Amino acid sequence: SVQAHKEEDNPPKTMEVNVLTPLPDSYDYDLIVIGGGSGGLAAAKEAAKYGKKVMVLDFVTPTPQGSSWGLGGTCVNVGCIPKKLMHQAALLGQALQDSRKFGWQFTEEVKHNWMTMTESVQNYIGSLNWGYRVALRDMKVTYENAYGEFVGPHTIKITNKKGIEKLYTAERFIIATGERPRYLGIPGDKEFCISSDDLFSLPYCPGKTLVVGASYVALECAGFLAGLGLDVTVMVRSILLRGFDQDMANRIGEYMKEHGVNFIRQFVPIKVEQTEEGTPGILKVTAKSTTGDQIIEGEYNTVLLAIGRDPCTRKIGLDKVGVNINEKTGKIPVSDEEQTNVPYIYAVGDILQDKLELTPVAIQAGRLLVRRLYAGTTTKCDYVNVPTTVFTPLEYGACGYSEETAVEKFGEENIEVYHSHFWPLEWTVPSRDNNKCYAKIICNIQDNERVIGFHVLGPNAGEVTQGFAAAIKCGLTKEQLDSTVGIHPVCAEV
Amino acid sequence: MGWEEVQVRGYPEFVRTAESFHGRPIFALFCGDKDAEGRSWCPDCVTAEPIVRKELHNLPDQSVFIYCLVGDRAYWKDPNNEFRRNLKLTGVPTLLKYGTPQKLVEEECFKAELVRMLFTED
Repeated sequence: SVQAHKEEDNPPKTMEVNVLTPLPDSYDYDLIVIGGGSGGLAAAKEAAKYGKKVMVLDFVTPTPQGSSWGLGGTCVNVGCIPKKLMHQAALLGQALQDSRKFGWQFTEEVKHNWMTMTESVQNYIGSLNWGYRVALRDMKVTYENAYGEFVGPHTIKITNKKGIEKLYTAERFIIATGERPRYLGIPGDKEFCISSDDLFSLPYCPGKTLVVGASYVALECAGFLAGLGLDVTVMVRSILLRGFDQDMANRIGEYMKEHGVNFIRQFVPIKVEQTEEGTPGILKVTAKSTTGDQIIEGEYNTVLLAIGRDPCTRKIGLDKVGVNINEKTGKIPVSDEEQTNVPYIYAVGDILQDKLELTPVAIQAGRLLVRRLYAGTTTKCDYVNVPTTVFTPLEYGACGYSEETAVEKFGEENIEVYHSHFWPLEWTVPSRDNNKCYAKIICNIQDNERVIGFHVLGPNAGEVTQGFAAAIKCGLTKEQLDSTVGIHPVCAEV
Repeated sequence: MGWEEVQVRGYPEFVRTAESFHGRPIFALFCGDKDAEGRSWCPDCVTAEPIVRKELHNLPDQSVFIYCLVGDRAYWKDPNNEFRRNLKLTGVPTLLKYGTPQKLVEEECFKAELVRMLFTED
């Protein structure tokens, strides 16, 4: 039978669970959320608002290099937040260069201090971690820094850093465990390479860096590292930014290449060795061509792997409660109400199959789910026309269909693409590129030339895209766009 | 050994004292000056102090509790005073764990639960 051990007992290390046992008539919690990231925290806080008894479990398994972090999930600790701050650091470096043309005079050469930047960023993240803990405590949500896994119906076992285990039951569960970076599976990868999980708290400047991968994580990191003055090379197996509009992806790559980022295309690393210890040391990378037998070698201070992220769903006991996962990808298929195949278990965030991996999506899904469960609403999360931005040195904002997907879905003859290069006014004086910034909209001819895709490449792309996303949600047509008077002089008027 | 309390007034004395205890966990409560009758010009500080004091027994061993009077109301209102500039304080009362981003500001200090969390959790 299921024994719920209270804190005072000494629980045995192994638990026996009889699946046919009748469930306790009152659960320890109304809701247990496994994962304290964007989706999990949003759901937990919302449930607390409706007076539910909620527990949040959050636990970070340290990286192979030993990095770990506090409450808040990927976005806050090793994702969006530090990424954008470091991207900003790089932009400021560029601004300093531009400033001379605008009349600012300074004699010293400007240098960048990695430790100063990293300490400031980590300090800010620390205040966010603390803020979440205060918020949870204030809302009477129980938070445990412990690893949660299912051991039987409605029952989880949690294990903290010291190995102490406890059992809890809940009426409902939300799985929001997120993902972690994938490794290559080659000699030396876990020993010597770092990932985005390590980069934002790296206690030494990474130096000459090889970034492996062509995801937005790879390009954003390569972009700001180069912007801070480091020697950066990106090794790409095939295409850039899979899943994104490929014309825009190639423009981003071209811009980065012209601005000092080296690209090695159609190669994959097969071995990483350490030739010299140090912080950073020197690593030798051997890579093989994907199109032939050619082998190349290179030496770098740091190798950053950014080849994808895998869901944390394989070691949380889902088999004990019968939750289906996609065996190949680890993702959890859910209904349009975020329910798994087990009625009392739900899931939100990056682990969902076929859904966008974005913080605002996870937050929205988590909140709406909880409102449906406890406040009687019926609103579902709208996953259509979600805007995104890639913070590469030349930022890329998008909402809706890529050109290729639009052609595939509607037929080339039924879509019309309007596009334009533009030269930001702020770039004229410092003689920055006049033909790189670019915007295009994709319209559905059969539906009043409805705007079904919006793409912009230029400064502040995120800020520009947000407003257009709202317009697209309202059914913006080309005619309405044309009849909207532009603001001058801004990039968005194009 | 348990915890100990030190009372200071003004920014230079605070910094000197905190530095002298380098290596030990340091918690600090910043309040507005008190008049001859022992009443602070800051009403929230008057409310918070007893609540904080009631939780002091939860302080970890070896820690230091610095009770710091920041100055008079005019000094505090100056947006450039050293506490605002260097310690990034935004209001009084502020209760913080020195050297970390962990702090409680104003009404947060009225909540015994939060004070206890600051004192006892990492």
